Amino acid sequence: MPSSTLSRVQARPSRGYWWYLLPGAIAFTVVVAVPFAANIYLSLTKWSGIGDPRFVGLDNYTRLLHDEVFWTSFRNTAAMVIAMVVVPTLAGLVLAATLFDVIGRRFGPKAASFLRATFYLPQVLPVVVAGILWGWLLRPDGAVNAFAEAIGLGAHDWLGDPGTALPMVMLVMIWVQIGYPVVIFMAALQRVDPDLYEAAEIDGASWWHRFTAITLPQIRPETFVVTLTCTIAALKVFGPVWALTRGGPNNATTVPSYFAYNAFFNKLQVGYGAAVATALTLLIVAISIGFLKAQGRVEEAS
Amino acid sequence: MRSPRTMISIGAALVSLALVLAGCGGQDDDAAQSGTGTFKLWHYESANGAMGKAWDKAIEVFKAEHPGVTVEFERKAFEQIQQNASMILASDQAPDLMEYNKGNATAGLLSSKGLLTDLSDEVTGRGWDKLLSPSLQTTARYDEKGVMGSGSWFGVPNYGEYVMVYYNKDLFQQHGVAVPKTLDELTKAMDTFVAKKITPLGMAGAEYPAGQLYYQLALSKADRSFVDNYQLYKGPVSFDADPLKYGAETFRQWVDKGYVSQRSASLKAEDMGTAFIAGKTPMIVSGSWWYGRFSSEIKKFQWGTFLFPGNKLNAGSSGNLWVVPEQSKNKKLAYDFIDITMRPEIQTILGNNGGVPVNADLAKVTDLKNKELIANFAAITAADGLAFYPDWPVPGYYDVLVAGGQSLINGSKNPQQVLTELGKAYEQGVSEIENG
Amino acid sequence: MSTLTLGRTRAARRDPDRYKQGAARWVVLVLVAFTAALVLVPFAVMLMNAFKSPADYSGNGPLSWPESFQLDGLRTYWQQVRFEGKLLNSIVISGAVAVLGVVLSLLNAYALGIGRVRGRLWIVAAFLLANMIPQEALVYPLYAMAKATGLYNSRLSVIIIFTVIQSAFGTYLLASVLGTFPKALLEAAALDGAGRWTTLWRVVVPTVRPTLSVLLIFFFIWTWNEFFIPLVMLVDNSTQTVPLALASLQGDRLMDATTTNAGALISLLPTVVFFLIFQRTLTRGVTVGAVK
Repeated sequence: MPSSTLSRVQARPSRGYWWYLLPGAIAFTVVVAVPFAANIYLSLTKWSGIGDPRFVGLDNYTRLLHDEVFWTSFRNTAAMVIAMVVVPTLAGLVLAATLFDVIGRRFGPKAASFLRATFYLPQVLPVVVAGILWGWLLRPDGAVNAFAEAIGLGAHDWLGDPGTALPMVMLVMIWVQIGYPVVIFMAALQRVDPDLYEAAEIDGASWWHRFTAITLPQIRPETFVVTLTCTIAALKVFGPVWALTRGGPNNATTVPSYFAYNAFFNKLQVGYGAAVATALTLLIVAISIGFLKAQGRVEEAS
Repeated sequence: MRSPRTMISIGAALVSLALVLAGCGGQDDDAAQSGTGTFKLWHYESANGAMGKAWDKAIEVFKAEHPGVTVEFERKAFEQIQQNASMILASDQAPDLMEYNKGNATAGLLSSKGLLTDLSDEVTGRGWDKLLSPSLQTTARYDEKGVMGSGSWFGVPNYGEYVMVYYNKDLFQQHGVAVPKTLDELTKAMDTFVAKKITPLGMAGAEYPAGQLYYQLALSKADRSFVDNYQLYKGPVSFDADPLKYGAETFRQWVDKGYVSQRSASLKAEDMGTAFIAGKTPMIVSGSWWYGRFSSEIKKFQWGTFLFPGNKLNAGSSGNLWVVPEQSKNKKLAYDFIDITMRPEIQTILGNNGGVPVNADLAKVTDLKNKELIANFAAITAADGLAFYPDWPVPGYYDVLVAGGQSLINGSKNPQQVLTELGKAYEQGVSEIENG
Repeated sequence: MSTLTLGRTRAARRDPDRYKQGAARWVVLVLVAFTAALVLVPFAVMLMNAFKSPADYSGNGPLSWPESFQLDGLRTYWQQVRFEGKLLNSIVISGAVAVLGVVLSLLNAYALGIGRVRGRLWIVAAFLLANMIPQEALVYPLYAMAKATGLYNSRLSVIIIFTVIQSAFGTYLLASVLGTFPKALLEAAALDGAGRWTTLWRVVVPTVRPTLSVLLIFFFIWTWNEFFIPLVMLVDNSTQTVPLALASLQGDRLMDATTTNAGALISLLPTVVFFLIFQRTLTRGVTVGAVK
């Protein structure tokens, strides 16, 4: 590729740019930093949400370590990462490239836009409503079972059996999530120089070869962004689980955020909820920083 | 391409417009404190339910009697009141009068933190206590720790609710089943249906119905002292002995025998109710809150109700409470409104729409079914038979009960394991309450 | 600016015949269309139930075809929740957050991606914290702060909070994208004597407009569908948003399924319309790569 096109701005840190960070920094301090510090303080107290918190030191954290449900919720997070990061990112890449490269060029950009909007639609649906709709489809006398029986499989209580509840929640999460990478990747593909494809086609490169040699490297920044933000979303997922199963059956689909929410607002143990939230945040921060560092290295190397 | 200057100015205009819109209208200026001014009222009953209809009428009456007052009524999201009541009531945005859930974890907690007005003087002064039987009063009074049953009045209920059996008369007739009078007869009736490949009892594992059936079964072996121990912490509760052991084991037996579907663990109460309305289910064990909906939506068959056979104690309680926030700016108007909802003319509307009134003019309740509903409730309260609900004693116990019920339905745990878990959460929660 | 050309026109004009051959493209189309149809199934269910009468829904279940076409659910919902007010609130909040969020993201990303200020990895990580913290953790402190400043139950509080939360994502995405910004363009601007501020608006913004459009759409739709923080911060009818209105149909023990579906349909429309309008800007982007 022509080096003059894509070479980066020189890494010359310049003081004048600091001013641009000022509004963001002030807003961030007020809305995020201060409340989060307050949350850390709350995690060291016992508090029902009303009156004065009572300081209890690290009690909430020691209790957390022995809470089975808490550990179950963390194990389920791994499943959420598969359903909300791995599958949507991979499928999103292929779909976006197909829509852009095949559908967009051979059937016109209108068809591609229409299909993109379709895939994005689940992102727009309020999550509570999505929960009700999927509940109808998956319930024992629902459409999924009607289909399963028609092709000779027996009916099943998909969300009621601890063995199948988690896979079903994962399926719904993929459905919810898929539109997000598709839209971002398709926007990313707009940035790619069409001449690169042209040159590759003249060389007789296959679609797959073009995809791996041009598309993937070109939209790498967006790929990183999608992967990291999806990972964060997966680690703190709450709404769909709340709407679909409320963490059941018997905690089979519970996740850390639901666990924290439950402590905050159902059990009125705000201190304990704050401890769960803090632990979860630390985990997310650790993963994110590792990720950002890897991204930094890749960017420097390329 | 647009020049950057126009882009910036368009952006600035949009933002300032938004900020102007956002800034104004946020707070309502509290016009006056006296008999004129505004009266802010919140509840979360649906408009076409018994309570919704009765209270709409009460608002009309209130307006007629207080011509100078503007009534600001809002129908709230249940979720919002459930989750944020303490935040709202601790701020200057609190309403003057609000519907709120009864129980230690809700009204009890807020009263113990000084967010609710002590209504004792009004209650005796206006004679509301005379309209409410002792078991209805239990949920209206809270002590300093916020435990129900004694202490001052912090809420006023004006209707009741209880769990019973709804049945499909057509299906009973078609299969030659009589209305059971005892638990034995009930099991025989269910055997008849199972033999004909019909699941006799509708169930919903993902929500309250499973916990309520477990509790109903336990109550069949219980007396008042068990309820006092379990609900009011008057004594220890054993989770590996009857009545709770009987409740969990019998529940599991009923699943094994096919009375309850093994595939109902993921169902919600709504699914159970609509299956009954569709005429697919011979019976469901659930509360009076379905009554109005069944009356208006079941057209294709005859249906009826009977009390859970043989039980002296039944899950049930007063309805939700009217509470007056400490921050209310117009308490006098709030008391006037409560008073209106207690009048026979309003209570009769409740009774005629499938609600359970506490002070209705029964002569004016014409529908035979509604009469039966009210008579059954009167019979339960007369016999001191309201046992409240199984998830009440401990905050957050609802989820534990749902998890336990699901395990009993899908067989992932045996009754012993389920009881151990229920016991553990119960004891932990009670010790938290008692140690403040 | 004259160095930039529209990428799409170039791509579309290029030797169209080569793409029109072979059956493979039809196979691809059918596969993608089939997947898209599967994605739409739950929406079909929603549509079916939005136009049913409550008795029809209760008697025949959610998966049956409506007995008759009813608009009652839609009407009930609109009147019962006073939808027009909620609609205005949602538009004001989401619109303000979308615009402010994009501006804030752009300023941050300009310093991080193009300015390459020292320690940018840590600054990006710090900003991203807004995205990483579970919202439950922020609620009690934010409530206390809003109450202290008189912003409790005002739309402004929600606008401020979500501007920050959304811009965390925007900062990260834009900073990554601007990290690969072509040096040639910046140099050309510098030669023309443009300062940083002018360069930002005249060179950077036009070039990354597709990404800015993505951000605008995402911020609007994400903020529109936010439930938890608005539920805590917005207390009464004069300030509440569309999703909160929808939630008021879910009672303590009962729900109103047909009205909920009708409500969902109405609540969904503004965001879908918004997406369809703005998705045109996604394809009309000016490509960076077209620089010669």
